[in-house]
Amino acid sequence: MSQRFRSLLLAWVLLMVLLAIEFGTSFLPLDRSARPLVLIPAVLMVAVVGTIFMEVGRGPEIVRLFAVAALLWLSMLLGLGSLDPMTRIDYPVQAAHPR
Amino acid sequence: MSEVVIETPGAAASYLANGVTLRSWLLTTDHKRIAVLYFGTITFFFFIGGGAAALLRYNLILPQGMIGSAETYNRLFTLHGVVMVWFFLVPAVPVTLGNFLVPLMLGARDLAFPKLNLLSWYLFVAAGFVVLYALFAGGVDTGWTFYTPLTSAYTNGHVVATAVAIIVAGFSSIATGLNFIVTIHRLRAPGMTWYRMPVFLWSLYATSVILVLATPVLAMTLLLLAFERIFHIGVFDPSLGGDPLLFQHLFWFYSHPAVYIMILPGFGVISEIVPAFSSKRLFGYKFVVWASMAIAVISFLVWGHHMFVAGTSLYSALVFSILSFMVAVPSAIKVFNWIGTMHKGFIRFDAPMLYAIGFIGLFTTGGLTGLFVAALAADVHLTQTYFVVAHFHYVMVGGMVSAYFAGLHFWWPKITGRMYPEMWGRAGAVIIFIGFNLTFFPQFILGYLGMPRRYHSYPPEFEVLNVLSSAGATILAMGYLLPLGYLTWSLFYGERASANPWNATGLEWQTASPPLTDNFVSTPTVTEPPYNYPPPEVVHRHA
Amino acid sequence: MPEASLTHEFQYSSARHQAETAISGMWLFLATEVLFFGALFLTWIYSRHWNQAGFDAGARRTDLAIGTINTVILLASSFIFSAGLAFIEAGNTRRLIQCCAIAWLLGIGFLILKFGIEWREDFSKHLFPGPDFAINGPLGGGARIFFVFYFLGTAVHGLHMIGGLVLVGWIILRARRDEFSFRYYTPVCVVGLYWSFVDMVWIVLYPLIYLVGRGP
Repeated sequence: MSQRFRSLLLAWVLLMVLLAIEFGTSFLPLDRSARPLVLIPAVLMVAVVGTIFMEVGRGPEIVRLFAVAALLWLSMLLGLGSLDPMTRIDYPVQAAHPR
Repeated sequence: MSEVVIETPGAAASYLANGVTLRSWLLTTDHKRIAVLYFGTITFFFFIGGGAAALLRYNLILPQGMIGSAETYNRLFTLHGVVMVWFFLVPAVPVTLGNFLVPLMLGARDLAFPKLNLLSWYLFVAAGFVVLYALFAGGVDTGWTFYTPLTSAYTNGHVVATAVAIIVAGFSSIATGLNFIVTIHRLRAPGMTWYRMPVFLWSLYATSVILVLATPVLAMTLLLLAFERIFHIGVFDPSLGGDPLLFQHLFWFYSHPAVYIMILPGFGVISEIVPAFSSKRLFGYKFVVWASMAIAVISFLVWGHHMFVAGTSLYSALVFSILSFMVAVPSAIKVFNWIGTMHKGFIRFDAPMLYAIGFIGLFTTGGLTGLFVAALAADVHLTQTYFVVAHFHYVMVGGMVSAYFAGLHFWWPKITGRMYPEMWGRAGAVIIFIGFNLTFFPQFILGYLGMPRRYHSYPPEFEVLNVLSSAGATILAMGYLLPLGYLTWSLFYGERASANPWNATGLEWQTASPPLTDNFVSTPTVTEPPYNYPPPEVVHRHA
Repeated sequence: MPEASLTHEFQYSSARHQAETAISGMWLFLATEVLFFGALFLTWIYSRHWNQAGFDAGARRTDLAIGTINTVILLASSFIFSAGLAFIEAGNTRRLIQCCAIAWLLGIGFLILKFGIEWREDFSKHLFPGPDFAINGPLGGGARIFFVFYFLGTAVHGLHMIGGLVLVGWIILRARRDEFSFRYYTPVCVVGLYWSFVDMVWIVLYPLIYLVGRGP
């Protein structure tokens, strides 16, 4: 039990550290299109919550199947979904009527 | 030859007789009763959507339109699409045949979450009430695809109400899919390994993967649409920097896999019927299984083919086109497997098999014409014409609805304990096949010649083909009304069915018709591979 | 007491079979939620792509202090609930109840800060993307879209939080009726998964709302 509590406590400390790093990096002078890199610590935090708080490694095998499937399908949505705007040629138009 | 013993403890009641009060039906958690409840509900919606279709085809008899108002026509085709997609085709086989058969085929006593199953029916009914309100309070005129900015900024139809109805129906289908996936993983009978499962179960598993992963995206999409419409701002309005294509990407991310939600269970049904009526093992079981799983994955990668002329980038259109060609391959593989099963089989032409054979031809036609529209250059000409309408009706109606009827007839004895009158069944299948082709084949030609879809009127040179199509629709309607008649008749006067009237394999045939509430007297143990034709001798032992 | 005395539903073969199935079911439900919020994230990607300057201008008007405090609160809440689960796995119902109560209060704190204070502040600063939106000019469109994402995202997350609070409250009630022990705590597990997931969603929303658009 105390072993488990120690893991949880360490995970929480790790999360706070990652939050601090994320908070800090957001003040770095990154190029506007590079700003999303600030999300990297967030992804790591998600991993910590999933592995240590939610114990994805512990339950029956299908739990890991479901978690992997969720991430895979999310990347299909975000990845293939982003392909169009990233490669679209934007033809500028006249400014719209003032609202 | 091994023996199968069906124990029928004399006094135990079938699931139909086990409680006759309304309460026992409305508060049931028995998957079989829930299947029956669903069956009634979706049959109701089928005829509502069908009625709208009848009015559409009636309108198109004359070039200037019989109904007179383009607005009414638009509302009708929207009603037809919304009801047929979300209130008939998406639920159809999974909630009726699926709910009934999944535990039986697995050798389980019920689904993993029976109360969730009942909740899913109530959600579906609630959604049904909301959509009926929306549609009869004046409806929506945007088409079932709800494209922005028409829906978000301009139309005065009941968009939000319809969106809410679809979101709630979506929750119902997510619940069903979740239940199936968990049940198939966790509640298989001893000895029922993955490769001993009938293909119907694999198909429902693949369908459920799509149900649980695609539908949530639709829910958020419709929420965004409702938000934009209510607060008159939003992410889909180009004059504010929004992107109307975002709506289309999000919508089709769900709606393309949705068409596989609709057809995969049909593949499963055909994969059960063809071996049974050819008295032969399914040809290439593993190919059929993995083709189904491949469809579940690849179907998520092709949605952009609905947007080739919408303004997406050429690169993304190219990627989606290539992937769309790839997704046709697993479906084609299955067609070869079914034909291979029939080859050198002992074929019986009972009604389920007639529907199944019709399915193979009609689905193949529809599937191949899908490739025409998946080709970028051809699609520029064919998109938004009747060619596309014919394509998807061939796969959805000629394919899926035929498969649904096939399954309905095949498992009717198991579900109701009665046989339907065979000659009427065969007549219905033939009338539907003829009526269907007369309705939709002319539409391929109309589309190729340039007749646009969703138009209330059309140029006079298209009149002959439209009249043929509407005539076909009349025959098709009769074909669909026929089973309503004789199946209802059979409930009261049909010959009582034995446990296995078709001499088919599968655990569902090794229990009484109709089954006991608990499905099996004792949990079966599976030792045979699937489609072990001819099936073992059946011995009835009365306890 | 022997394990055989634990009851289970008729379609399961044992109590453990049922428990593991319940946990599997919750994970699958959470997978659906990933896709639900995923659509919102795609919206963020599109919206920022087409209106980077305006979008970030909107983001800079959010309250970084409240957002960050709320993140700390939720991380603590998730930690404490998980600790409560660990306690009941060791048979300690009293600690479970205490941990759940603290997790619950932290959740209430989040909601008060977010909806009671932050949203009220946003409305008073005319940041709701309605007719009297505060930011005009060339950056206005992008800023409006940012706030569409902000209000919808936090509203949907908030609704999930409320659902989570109901569930945690239910666990507390059941625990007080002594329904859990070292041999049976499945509902605590299942609710814990949901609660941690709602935290995960916030972990992603927080930088999307408060951090990406900021900076010098």
